Amino acid sequence: MNFIIQAKDITKTYSKNGSITVKALQDVSVDIEKGEFTAIMGASGSGKSTLMNILGCLARPTSGEYFLDGENVNHLSDDDLAKIRNRKIGFVFQQFHLLPRTDALENVELPLLYSDRSDISKLAQQALEIVGLADRIHYQPAELSGGQQQRVAIARALVNNPEIILADEPTGNLDSRAGLEVISVFQRLHAEGKTVILVTHSPEIAEHADRIIRIRDGKITGDERVQSPLNAREELQNFPEETEVTP
Amino acid sequence: MKTFRLTTNAFKGLGKNKMRSFLMMLGIIIGIAMLSVILSITQGANKKIMVRINNFGPNAIMVHSGGGKMRGPSSVSEANLTQQDLHDISSLEGVKIVAPFQLEPGMPIKYQDQFTTTTVVGAMPNWAEAWRRGVSRGEFIQTDDVELLRKVCVIGETVKKELFANSNPIGKELLIGKVKFKIQGILQKRGAGPGGGDFDNLIVIPFSTASRRLMNQPKYIAMMRVIVDDPSHLKSISQQISRTLRSNHHLASDEEDDFRLRSSTQIVKMIKGVSNTLHIFLLLIAGISLVVGGIVIMNIMLISVSERKKEIGIRKAVGARSKDILLQFVLESLAITLTGGILGFIVGIFGVKIMEMISSTPAVISWETLALAFGFSFIVGIVFSVQPARKAARLDPVEALR
Ligand SMILES: Nc1ncnc2c1ncn2[C@@H]1O[C@H](COP(=O)(O)OP(=O)(O)OP(=O)(O)O)[C@@H](O)[C@H]1O
Ligand SMILES: [Mg+2]
Repeated sequence: MNFIIQAKDITKTYSKNGSITVKALQDVSVDIEKGEFTAIMGASGSGKSTLMNILGCLARPTSGEYFLDGENVNHLSDDDLAKIRNRKIGFVFQQFHLLPRTDALENVELPLLYSDRSDISKLAQQALEIVGLADRIHYQPAELSGGQQQRVAIARALVNNPEIILADEPTGNLDSRAGLEVISVFQRLHAEGKTVILVTHSPEIAEHADRIIRIRDGKITGDERVQSPLNAREELQNFPEETEVTP
Repeated sequence: MKTFRLTTNAFKGLGKNKMRSFLMMLGIIIGIAMLSVILSITQGANKKIMVRINNFGPNAIMVHSGGGKMRGPSSVSEANLTQQDLHDISSLEGVKIVAPFQLEPGMPIKYQDQFTTTTVVGAMPNWAEAWRRGVSRGEFIQTDDVELLRKVCVIGETVKKELFANSNPIGKELLIGKVKFKIQGILQKRGAGPGGGDFDNLIVIPFSTASRRLMNQPKYIAMMRVIVDDPSHLKSISQQISRTLRSNHHLASDEEDDFRLRSSTQIVKMIKGVSNTLHIFLLLIAGISLVVGGIVIMNIMLISVSERKKEIGIRKAVGARSKDILLQFVLESLAITLTGGILGFIVGIFGVKIMEMISSTPAVISWETLALAFGFSFIVGIVFSVQPARKAARLDPVEALR
């Protein structure tokens, strides 16, 4: 098996003032194959974001081991983790997290700014073409719809050609059509061989993945294959005309 | 490449919040403007001092008759230097020239129906060499002019202008007091004299003629100009002259000097003493505004680190290392202070130009001033951004994105 993500007995506890401790994750183990499209579901506060942050090397587990692409990242320095985030991981967040007063192109260029690449604006432009925003490269976030902003964020996540895309409730702030558009981009990236992990509250959205992992109170309670994943592009074609309002 | 991109981004960032950038710059602009003004004025003053020293002669010592505090030249009425003094000073080691002269300020001069007053100097031929100043036309005082007590004179440009306008004065006769003198030369133009006065407003006549025919001082010499071989020996030769004169004049050790010595070093001290306190005060103000400007920048940046938590989180999420964030904030601060420094320098130059126009303060605008303005802006930019930059760099990305 070619696992790109192997997390063993990951525990994450938060302590406040040294007294009250919150166990956000308890002995969580997940293996994810290269090229898989996985959805993570769970109630609010169940630990989904905590898990995503650890998988994305943005946070360190309190205990447990995490192998990324076969490499144990537990003992890497902060700088090395930053390098891994830059090269192997693309994050997409619920709140888009674009830089304000900065146009789409520059937002997408951001990861390249911290890489050794030199053809920055060409790559950023290509990434924006992939998410269908070639005509919006000089729009600032405030001039874009929520769905468009999220697609800019996706372009930023994939601009440095990472192995893994981590999306934490990317459709949470979007209406259903814009959400489907975003999911269709993920499905296309998945089809091209990227590993995609998606956190969502919505069972319909989760049905677009190959696999659904369920979390409750910091523990994995379910892990199942999706027999026949939905196809977001087809759904978009059948989408009722009248709801097609730009947010 | 990476650093270059971060640098251009830092400068681009200035334009995104123009008002805040300007407020952050203000202290730097004021501080650097003042610094530029002070440096330009100081350099202007130094240049003026150099000109004065050059006019005085960097290797000259003036010996005045009469003691007391420093003041203008000694006139013939207080003359008390002797032929023995002249001889003894001339034989001191390292003394190249000793030019004795008599001097009487404000003597009435008449040519036909034109009147003026001027300083009359009775000089030996070596006066020209001692002052490095000969005639522009005609002939200077010659040895036989002195020996034969001739009534000839050499006049300065100012005198010439006042009495003769544009006509040629050589060969003409004028009256100094009641004595007729024939003009045989025009002195080279010099401008400001050692005391700062008009050094072209004078008439030079033979030493002997002045002593015996005009000023009635056959015995004593009013002044001497001593030229030394090496300016670095000025001090020791001054001391030797002082000792020689005290012993020749039989002064007891508790008696004050009955002569005065002046050299360029004293002139420098005199001029600098006045301006230094003012300059130190102004530099202090410039320093304070730079520090205050720096503190303002630091505080606004500390606030902006809290405001920009999200941005820092985003940058870290996409791969910025802590040192990249640190560098970014330092560069942003440098963008502010360097831009402020350049603006301050420009404001300073305008200030200097205006001062030059209004009060004719001599000023020199130099590359050194620009370099110093740049250097100080750079230092302030680094020093006061380190703390906020470190705060930003230390932020935990997950916390920052919350
Ligand atoms: N920095 C923190 N300090 C203390 N407790 C924390 C911190 N971050 C998360 N937690 C706690 O850890 C638990 C898991 O949080 P997490 O954000 O992973 O939940 P989530 O599944 O993403 O929820 P949601 O669906 O609302 O985003 C929660 O109980 C939360 O209160
Ligand atoms: Mg969450």
